[in-house]
This record gives sequence, C-alpha cells and structure tokens, in this order.
Amino acid sequence: MEIKNLSNEKLGESYRQIRHPSGLTILVLCKPDYVCTHAIFAAKYGSIDTMIEENGTMREIPHGTAHFLEHKLFESEDLDAFERFAKTGAEANAFTSFDRTAYIFTCTDNFKQNLEILLDFVQSPYFTEETVKKEQGIIGQEIRMYKDAAGWEVLFNLLGALYHKHPVKVDIAGTEESIAEITAETLYSCYNNFYSLGNMVLAVAGNAAYEDVLEVADKAIKAAAGSPARREFVREPAAPVSGYAEKRLPVKIPKFMIGFKEDIKTPERSLKEVVCVEIIHDVIAGKSSPLYRRLLDEGLVSSGFSSEYFSGFGFACSLFGGDSRDPENAARVIRDETKKYKKSGIGQKEFERARRRLYGRLVMMFNDVEEIAQNLVDSHLNGDSLFDEADICSSLTLDDVNEKLKDILCAERSSLSVILPLEGE
Amino acid sequence: MSEIKQIKIADGVDACFVVTDRFKTSKVLVTMAMPLEGDVSARAALPFVLRRSCRKYPDFSSLNGYLDELYGASLQAGVEKLGEAHLVKMGISVIGDRFTLDGESVAERAVELLFDLIFDPKLENGIFDPSDVEIEKRLLAERMVSELDDKRVYAVSRCQELMCEGEAFGKNRYGELSEIESLTPKRVFDAWRGVLKSAVIRVVVAGDSDTDKIEKMLSDKFSEIERSPSAISTSFIKSARGERYFSEEQPVKQGKLVMGFRAGMESKDDYRTAMTVMSDIFGGGTYSRLFLNVREKMSLCYYCGSRLNREKGIMIVQSGIETENEEKMKTAILEQLDALRAGDFTKETLEASMLSINETLRAYGDSPDALCSWYSAQLLDEVIKTPDERAAEFNAVTFDEVCGAAKEVTLDTVFMLIGTEGNSDGN
Repeated sequence: MEIKNLSNEKLGESYRQIRHPSGLTILVLCKPDYVCTHAIFAAKYGSIDTMIEENGTMREIPHGTAHFLEHKLFESEDLDAFERFAKTGAEANAFTSFDRTAYIFTCTDNFKQNLEILLDFVQSPYFTEETVKKEQGIIGQEIRMYKDAAGWEVLFNLLGALYHKHPVKVDIAGTEESIAEITAETLYSCYNNFYSLGNMVLAVAGNAAYEDVLEVADKAIKAAAGSPARREFVREPAAPVSGYAEKRLPVKIPKFMIGFKEDIKTPERSLKEVVCVEIIHDVIAGKSSPLYRRLLDEGLVSSGFSSEYFSGFGFACSLFGGDSRDPENAARVIRDETKKYKKSGIGQKEFERARRRLYGRLVMMFNDVEEIAQNLVDSHLNGDSLFDEADICSSLTLDDVNEKLKDILCAERSSLSVILPLEGE
Repeated sequence: MSEIKQIKIADGVDACFVVTDRFKTSKVLVTMAMPLEGDVSARAALPFVLRRSCRKYPDFSSLNGYLDELYGASLQAGVEKLGEAHLVKMGISVIGDRFTLDGESVAERAVELLFDLIFDPKLENGIFDPSDVEIEKRLLAERMVSELDDKRVYAVSRCQELMCEGEAFGKNRYGELSEIESLTPKRVFDAWRGVLKSAVIRVVVAGDSDTDKIEKMLSDKFSEIERSPSAISTSFIKSARGERYFSEEQPVKQGKLVMGFRAGMESKDDYRTAMTVMSDIFGGGTYSRLFLNVREKMSLCYYCGSRLNREKGIMIVQSGIETENEEKMKTAILEQLDALRAGDFTKETLEASMLSINETLRAYGDSPDALCSWYSAQLLDEVIKTPDERAAEFNAVTFDEVCGAAKEVTLDTVFMLIGTEGNSDGN
C-alpha cells in the first residue's frame, strides 16, 4: 500500500492519498474540529461514455445508461441502500454528470457503518427486468421535468449547436426513447466495464479518522482491480454546427447562452489552462468588469448573468449566459468585448485583481467538507493534487494568461442559444 | 458546538456572535424584519439598491473592484418571508486575515463595507440615486418573473397565493409586478428609513471576528437612529374551511400538483416538534411514505415531498406528474396521510426520521452560512436556541404524537398546473 501525505501550510490543511492494494485510490482529509463527514465513492463513468469495450471492439450503449445505472444501484436483493442508511441517519444521494457517477453521504454519527454501506452497495449490483421497467417511469418523469426547465434546455441546445458528434451534446439522463432500450443486461455490461476499482476513487473529508477509513476499506472492498475503462477522443471539427439555436417555451423572460468552442488537439485541459481561463472570464465578464456594467446599464441582462469554463474529456468551451430581454444584442456586446480583449490582451492590474479573487474563492472552498471531498475527486480524476490550484494561482504570470487567451473566445467558433417565450405572449 | 453570545445593541436590535476559529472565513448577516404589508416592493428593492453603492464607493464597478481586492469577499442581498414577516437581508463573507497572501487585514474592512452600504448609502438630493433605482427596479422585476418561469416554483407559489388569499402570507416577497414597475427613488428611500427606524433587527456574526469592535461599530451606527420597532405577528388558520380546487393550463410536458394543508396551529406558540416529524415521515427523506409509495412503488413521479412551514402553520405537498395521473396521485397522497393518522407506519420509520432530523440540525455548526441563517430565522423568538438544543427536543417525540399531528392536518387548497404538451410524442 502506497501512502502519500500532502499538505499546504498556508491553508493549514493536509490529506492522505492511499493507493489501496485493491487498486482503489482513497483520499482522506481530516477536520477533527468539524461535526460532519462527507464521503464520495465515484466511478469515472458519465454521460459522455456512450461506448463500451467488448472483446477489443467498441460497442454503443443507449444514451442515459450511466444515469440509469446510478438510480438502480441503490437497489439490492434484500434491503436497498436507502433502507440501510435510514438506520444510521446519514443523508445519502447520488448524481451523474458528463464524466462521472458519484455516490455520496453526509453524516455526523456512525461514520464507519455508513462507509461500509456505501462501499457495499456500490459494489453489489442487482438488476432485474422488472426493477428496470419500474425505473423507466421514474426517470421518464425526471426527463420531462428537465424538458420544461428553460435553464437546462438553453444549455443543451447550445451544446447541440456547438458539437457535431461529441456525446457531451446528449442529455445526461438520455431520452424517453433511449432509456426504453435499457435492459438489466445493458446495466450489467456497463457496470462490469466502468465500475472496476481502478476506474474509481473514494474521497472522505471531515470528522473521520484516517485509520477508520482504512479499516472499513480493508473489510468492505471486494473485487480485485480492473484497468481504467477506455475513453475515445472524439475529434470535433473546429467550427460549430450552427451559429444559432432557438426554442420556444412557456416562459416570460428569454434566456440565452453564448458558447465559444475551443479547437483542441488533445482530449484534456491542464489545471493551469483551466485557471488561466477562469481568470480571463473573470476579467472580461466578472462583476467588476466594464462588460458586466455595460450589459446592466443597457438593460441587456438580468442579475444572474454568469460565465463558466465548460471542459472535460474531448470538449472545452467558454459559456456566458443568463436572462435577457434582448439576447441577440447581449450576445453582440459580449462578442465585441471578447474581440477587443483578444486584440489588446489583459492588463497587469486586471490580472492581479482577478487572481486575488480566485485565490479567495479557493480558500473559502476549504470551509465546506462536501466541497473539499468533491474537489479531492476532481483533482484526482484530472491527475492533480488538491492544493495544486492554489499553487498555480500564486505562481501564474500575466504572460501565461495572455497566451491562453489566444486559443479561446474566437467569435467564428461561437454559437448563441436562446429560449424565447411562446409566440403571442 | 460553538458558544453563542447575544448582545442588545438598541431597542429591537441585537447581535449574536458565534465565535470560532474553525472556519476559513467569517460572515456577518444583517436581517431586518418588518410586517409583510405596506410598500412591499420598495422594501424588496432596498437591499439590491443598497448593494450597488455607498457614499464611500459611489460607483458600482469600483465597489465590486474593492470586493475583488478583499479576496473576492461576497456580498449577499435578498428578501424573504418568515411567516408574515418581511425580511430584508444583507451580508458579507470574507476570508480570515491569516489566509491572505501578504498578511494584509481584510476581515474588518469587509464588515465596515457592509455597514457602510446599509447605513451610509450614496444619496442624490437627499434620496437614492435615480439611475441606480431605475436599474434595480428592472432587475427586481426580471428576478421575480424569472423565478416564476420555473414551473415548480410557480405552482407552489400559486397554490400558496390562492390558499392564503386575503392573508398577508399570500403576497409574493417581491410584492406585485405593477408596484415594482412604478417604484421611485423616494419610495425606496422611505423604505430604507422605515426599516432602520422600525424593523426588528438581528446581526449574526459567525467566525473568528473581533466581537468588541463589531459591537462598538453597531452601537455607534444605531446611536444616531431614533428607534421605534414594529410589532410583527402572523395570523394562523387552524383548520381548512373546506377543500378548494384550482387549475391552470400551460403548454408544458410535466404537470405539477401542489396540495396546501393547514397544520392545526392556532399561533406560533402552538408548534410541536411532532408536526415536523409527521411532515418528514409523510414526505421528507427517502424513508418517507410518499417517496416509498408514490415514487418507488407506483413509479408516478420523480419527486414528491412535503414541507411544514411552522412560521405560518401550513404544510405543502408538491410533485411533478403526468397530467392524466392527477386523480391517481391525489388519492395516493391522501391515502398516505390517512395511513399516518391511523398509525400505519413502523417504529423504524419514526426512528429514521428522528435520526435524520437530528443529523441535519447538528450539521448547522459546520457552516458559517448555515449558522447565520439559523440564528437570523429566530429573530422574532423570545429565546434563542442552538441547533443542538433544538435537536434534543426531538428525542422526546412519540409515535402517538405523530399520529395526533397527522390528524390535525386538513387539506385546504389543491392547485394543478395542467401540462398540455403531455404524452411522449413530439418534442
């Protein structure tokens, strides 16, 4: 067993990274003066994983399978996971994102028992045709709920306009048609392909002793390691599918999102690139930026206007959006401003200000055990350590940022997605 | 659990300090309560107008630049309903001085900034700046409309509005759209004066702060204000006078069913912990009757939950369903309530609920935000309770008390948002 201690003196935090003999990576950050502990058991398997490897060839699986599997893993032959957690008082949940599935709990008591339940149920698949059928009704309602949610639709319509074939454009839960194709057999195949311990990570943050985590892990971890599942790098054309996507929904105020697709040559972005883009976004569109001021003064956006660097395996784009009475003009002003910055570059003062703000946000993250555990998982899956972002943030130079600015925010690779009110409203 | 120190600052104004060095940040939250009446929209606009500028930082962008300098200190502004009290909230979170890169002091400057925004706004000709008010007026209207564009929020809000028609609680916390659109700098300014003079005010400070200094700053601010705090109360209706049904059609895929119940309370003092447990067993966690039956067994929905509002004595059940399943769902929900009344649930479920509530309450201590919300929500109560003290009260709840609480609940109003884009065809 390999154990590594990592610490950051300024933040007064440290954690251990354990390479368990089973192949599972375990990350533990202790906060003995906290009451809660948050644990995450995650598989590197999300909605973008639409193919599985069988006998050396890749086979397509129905959209929404990762999410479906997440729902079904809570069930077992006897007591389901929720019934077991009901006896300990822990709050348990799970979620599926573009690139992972995570099973979580938060507790103040009975930590060891809770961890044992978590490790056990995620390692004990039990699917039957009958229980799969039943879940199709529940997830069908979840899908329909999102279809009515303008904030969700505006994002997926944009991804559909930006991406030709990358599965990031597919709704995480799939469609009612695609989930109808899922069978117990599909779930077992996907489980075996993606839930090997080498493709998973366990992160614990809060009032839990490191020894307790190891003791439970030694007892509850069943299988031997498999290798990480294969992910294909789906190369995208540099240009978007279309520059504009529009949909009408029964809303009173339009929503918009503009995305600038990045032409990437490698599937993953380094943490340094991510930090650079976060700083660029903050300088261009943050609360103290001239752009934000102008959009507000001219009545082009509402208070929820925000930006995001949306990146993962095989995709990367800069997103800006919110509510707007006049999405086309809001998008025009944003495009103009990004053009201006790409020409002039970012100034030293703006850079320092944004960097300070980012640093403050990183410090704040260490208040919250859930966020810490989440970040432990993120950093591990990206091959970084938890403290790398703070280190990069302090050592970054203006040149780094202006160099990255050249790759992103190209107007010719941008698309605008809008949700408009129904006609006649 | 951290200790709490409560200090009276002025008539109807107090400060609660939760001093601890466990956190990386400190947070100060100022909550100002008024009766939910009068110029609600002006009061709703107030925290957002105040958040824009102050005499010292008269420009919106330079104020935000100053926040960046304070390592991204984040300002919070908002309004809420607490029973029939209208809460105006403003707060700030900032990292502790020991975490700054060059050891500079930021925490105290952040608190000063918050107090400057609240007590020393930028004025033009003795009232608020018309251009600031104009922008915030638009943003407030858009915030209100955008929130109601979320069909789940809309359906619950509509049900409460219909159920509590003629009661102050029926009002939206932002007031009426027409009242917002007609706002003037003078009205918002008057709301500011009204709040400083008449609101019941609590300042909660959580983190590693210099409490003496904050106390002194507050005392100085309030020594210049002539105070006359309002009496704030909430009207309760013990039982429904009958069941009312409303529906509305919208071209959405999923229908929303909302059922509003009266919880059998005659006043705020009438509250018993068993009601919270009853609502939780009914539709709280994953061990609840609604989750296990209407979702897991009947596959009728993705979500169906109940929530008790003890400050108003009502309980709201909400779910997203196929419109054609409305009757089936309503019947199933009421059957589950009947089961609670008849004592048709297990001791294990009761224990699961009590454990879960206990865990949730104890978790408050781990977050400065949660602690600030916790103590500010008690600003109209005689005695302050810590989350641990509240948790201890739940240990005494009995099975019979839960059945009893379920028997007191009566259905008042049903609101159905009918989805006309139902069935799986089309997109």
